[in-house]
Amino acid sequence: MVTLDASNFTTRELNRRVREAIRDDPDQHITIINPRARHNLAVAINNHSRVVIKGSVGYFAASQMDGPEVEIEGNAGWALAENMMDGKVVVSGDAGASVAATIRGGEVYVGGNAGARAGISMKGGQLIVRGNTGFMTGFMMQKGRIIVCGDVGDAAGDSMYEGEIYVSGEVGSLGSDAKIELVTEDELAAVWSALELHGINERRSFKKIVSEKKLYHYDTLERFEKAVI
Amino acid sequence: MVTDRSQIWSQTVIDDIHSKSEVGRYRIRGFNTFQKVTHFDDLTFLSTGLTRFPLEGYKESCNTRTIIGDRSAEKPLILDTPVYITGMSYGALSANAKIALGKAATLTGTASCTGDGGMLPAERNASKKLIYQVLPSRYGFNPHHIAQAQAVEIVVGQGAKPGTGGLLMGVKVLDEIAEMRDLPKGIDQRSPARHPDWLGPDDLAVKIEQLREVTDYQIPIHVKLGACRVKDDVKLAAKAGADAIVVDSMMAGTGASAEVLLDHSGIPTVPAIVMAREALRELGLYGQVSLIASGGIRSGADAAKALALGADAVAIGISALIALNCNRDIPGSNFLEEVGVPAGECHHCHTGRCPVGITTQDPDLMKRLDPDEGAERVANFINSMTMEMALLTRSLGKGDVHSLEPEDLAALTIEASAMAGVPLVGTNRVF
Repeated sequence: MVTLDASNFTTRELNRRVREAIRDDPDQHITIINPRARHNLAVAINNHSRVVIKGSVGYFAASQMDGPEVEIEGNAGWALAENMMDGKVVVSGDAGASVAATIRGGEVYVGGNAGARAGISMKGGQLIVRGNTGFMTGFMMQKGRIIVCGDVGDAAGDSMYEGEIYVSGEVGSLGSDAKIELVTEDELAAVWSALELHGINERRSFKKIVSEKKLYHYDTLERFEKAVI
Repeated sequence: MVTDRSQIWSQTVIDDIHSKSEVGRYRIRGFNTFQKVTHFDDLTFLSTGLTRFPLEGYKESCNTRTIIGDRSAEKPLILDTPVYITGMSYGALSANAKIALGKAATLTGTASCTGDGGMLPAERNASKKLIYQVLPSRYGFNPHHIAQAQAVEIVVGQGAKPGTGGLLMGVKVLDEIAEMRDLPKGIDQRSPARHPDWLGPDDLAVKIEQLREVTDYQIPIHVKLGACRVKDDVKLAAKAGADAIVVDSMMAGTGASAEVLLDHSGIPTVPAIVMAREALRELGLYGQVSLIASGGIRSGADAAKALALGADAVAIGISALIALNCNRDIPGSNFLEEVGVPAGECHHCHTGRCPVGITTQDPDLMKRLDPDEGAERVANFINSMTMEMALLTRSLGKGDVHSLEPEDLAALTIEASAMAGVPLVGTNRVF
């Protein structure tokens, strides 16, 4: 168990100490106090350690990591857990724009609300938001699952390729090439089960947003293209 | 004299309208812009005479070693030549082409660059100095891969289609490519134009700090810009902390783009370099932030002129592909049958039917490119460029390509004089 007081270090020094601590003990538990909404905390951690940040963090917290569990007792700025390969990130409060951007695995849980473009370009993994999300939720999402217990803003699922966005509340509007599909019993059970792991036991209903797949291809080819392709 | 046909409604324009009236969308092609714009041929070097003396052109040593990104990186990119191979994706190019380019870079002591689609492990193995791109799509982006790179390049835009993301037609989005990019197989991939996790220059500063954390402050962070509002963009990138800035002009190449963007957006390479140089100078960062020019670099002469105007290095794309045999009638190829045009006129990279195995994912076509032979040709070409640069530099009485300066140049046209900021030949006047 290591406790680091962020107010004593530059971000570079703090992250260096985190990485050093987990290099010596991959199962290390680290607590960071006084983060004061600083950007780029707990970046590029690549093992199964556990990091608890007591306070709010700025942009890119717990980003580009592979394996650890990071818990933030506060709010998070933009791009929380950006491009996580695997692991788990829990923020007790709100998350800013682009939470879970481009994640390829793992899970991000937001206890409050999330900003615009939640789950943008996700390539796998799961994002759960207990509250609401902003506009363009799941924009250009490629794979994975987003669960929003509250409402989502306008242009939900815009230009998404694959993956699913489950919404319990209202959908502001659908984005380009997105549609609402019925949720199957198995899918609903899987969503409830994912929520139970975060203490959300209410059996609420969900609608599912998926790609309409009408923008997958250009409609036509030029004459010479038809001849050669 | 009035000609016998319309100057406005030429056959090209007529064909263009006929095509659009059939397909109902913008046209798509590869290669580069077909616009005729001011370029390096409009500049000439003022070699030595009685006012200064040449170095022995064929024998005396001339430094071509190039250091990129030593503003803050612990390990800047050190190249044996100021010419490196620009980012071109595995997907747009075949695996054999990517491997050949990586090997060529290693043979010549220079770098190659990944592209929009992630890092091909075989390219990593082939290229000793690999620049890892961070693009808006983040296809295949992997922090374990970036940790293996020798430099990082954040792509804000590309010269061939600034303000737009990549394009890869479904014929190329096959099994491995689709898997690497996490995309459904066979879709016409249209990449995002905006980064998913940051938007403006203040965010970019935070993103650069994040990437320094990921790479432990060891390697340079480049920012690549499609050359449009160059002066403002370069200042903002430099202020955000970039170690190197790439200005990619409207003359740059692409594997696929909407034709309207290729031909009607961006500015040429010559003014892009000059504006970038002046932007850095105004910030007091010229010489500290490395400046890399790309777009239409065809020879050592082009590269030398780029350096004289203020670039520290140049990146090549299409010329490296031509060295690989692009647009060459090789045994086994049949351009007319396979792409509908003769060798020398092909710009159909987007169809995936490349007759020489470069811009294709077809296993049979790809076999037409041997990575080792291709690497040798590209290495020969880069070596030729480096020798040409050294020859010109010595003829100017200098022993280091990085000593080239605007005073070594004159313009052959009024437009080039105005854009390059050098006097028109036969005058002492900059227009």
